[in-house]
Amino acid sequence: MKTIEIIVSPTGEARIETRGYAGAACQEASRLLEAALGVRQSEQLTPAFFQQPLTVQNRLSAGGHTNPS
Amino acid sequence: MSHIVTIQTEVRCRESVTAACRRLQLPPPTEGTHRLFTNQATGLAVALPAWRYPVVCELPTGTLRYDHYGGHWGDPRQLDRFLQGYAVERATLVARRSGHAVHEEPIADGSIRLVVQMEGAA
Repeated sequence: MKTIEIIVSPTGEARIETRGYAGAACQEASRLLEAALGVRQSEQLTPAFFQQPLTVQNRLSAGGHTNPS
Repeated sequence: MSHIVTIQTEVRCRESVTAACRRLQLPPPTEGTHRLFTNQATGLAVALPAWRYPVVCELPTGTLRYDHYGGHWGDPRQLDRFLQGYAVERATLVARRSGHAVHEEPIADGSIRLVVQMEGAA
């Protein structure tokens, strides 16, 4: 399940975490919320960020075959 | 998770300021020019509990104008509380307008957690 978790501290600072995403799609998903809230202070990429999305992996594994139609 | 971003909140949305005031049971914000001791500020004024002067939100720049005289004229924690309420309302408004469900829950350390369900999103 894809979710975005936002934790707003008692001083009003927001920490946004994307969950369930693979690759850079998470940045696209959270961009609107980030822009709405204020100024980005820091960004930390996690191992999942560097994973290829599943749909791309599937296409790659079928690579080399050409569609005759 | 795949990435974590920390955001310093800027107050730029009138609707979210109003919602934050409602959440914190503050009087509705008022537009105009407001006195801050010897200075003045123009914008959307929020009356925090037991503060002598309002906090004035300059929405186009995201700047907050206030004078609590080192805490003597108002508890800075009330300002923090307003900023937290604003950020929660702002994030909830934006997520819901994008068609996503939002679940809110308090955390023991005083933070507020929002979970935005993105399933089915592009």
